[in-house]
Amino acid sequence: MYGWIWRHLPGNAWVKALLSLLLALAVVYVLFQYVFPWAEPLLPFNDVTVDGQ
Amino acid sequence: MAATTEEDEQERAERAGESAPKPAPRQPGRGRIAMAVSVFGELLITAGVILGLFVAYSLWWTNVIADREAKKQGNRVRDHWEAKGPGAIDTKDGIGFLHVPSMTGGEILVTKGTNTKTLNHGVAGYYTAPIKSALPQDEKGNFTLAAHRDGHGAKFHKIDKIDEGDPIVFESRDKWYVYKVYKTLPETSKYNVRVLDPIPKESGAKKSDRYITLTTCTPVFTSNYRYVVWGKLERVEKVDNERTPPRELS
Repeated sequence: MYGWIWRHLPGNAWVKALLSLLLALAVVYVLFQYVFPWAEPLLPFNDVTVDGQ
Repeated sequence: MAATTEEDEQERAERAGESAPKPAPRQPGRGRIAMAVSVFGELLITAGVILGLFVAYSLWWTNVIADREAKKQGNRVRDHWEAKGPGAIDTKDGIGFLHVPSMTGGEILVTKGTNTKTLNHGVAGYYTAPIKSALPQDEKGNFTLAAHRDGHGAKFHKIDKIDEGDPIVFESRDKWYVYKVYKTLPETSKYNVRVLDPIPKESGAKKSDRYITLTTCTPVFTSNYRYVVWGKLERVEKVDNERTPPRELS
């Protein structure tokens, strides 16, 4: 999987490394900005009120 | 990556000629299985990394975001206070600040409502449901608050550091409301809404008075139970021009 991505990135090893880093950062951004805020309320970690529900 | 190095080695071995030992002929189908296993392994690693990132998100990043938001809202409240003369408590942005020296050095903005979206701003919310909270200036009743234990500002993280006799001070535009903790309940069911009653009988209270109730989840990092702290109003001080805090905070 990652090998496949690595082979399909253009450029020499340095360019590939840089692009990989950018890809990883983009993934982290998407996770923090969209995926985790969506997933968090579905998990039972942060209910702090007494509400009888 | 592993595949490329293998290929490289093979090429090198071929270039080196007959002296190098020939690689064993591959069994048919082996490559596909090896590939499947390696992809599976990479997926597992990926899942682990994502879970790690989620922990970082929950316990660190949400605090960064919430503290920023709470600061912004808090500044807005203070600006409002400066701009306007004396009057009723303004509930639009927030009604004031909670100071609990035994729990946290900072101030906690108090806003209306306890839904997730509100509390995620790194504030303490006063209950509007299931039992409506009284406000500090009300003659009688229970001022009931909730805030996060972990993440999203984690304003009540150290609620377990509050002991009986400790002060809880609520700061409004014109008044300091000084409460004294008289009872803590380290573990109760989340269905136990009676703790929010105007006269919280579970704390031993019998008569109508001006109470404050802090609720959050417990144990830390979970939401299995609720932690409750009760206090009773001791006195009210007028805010002076320098906003000198009452002696409990100095």
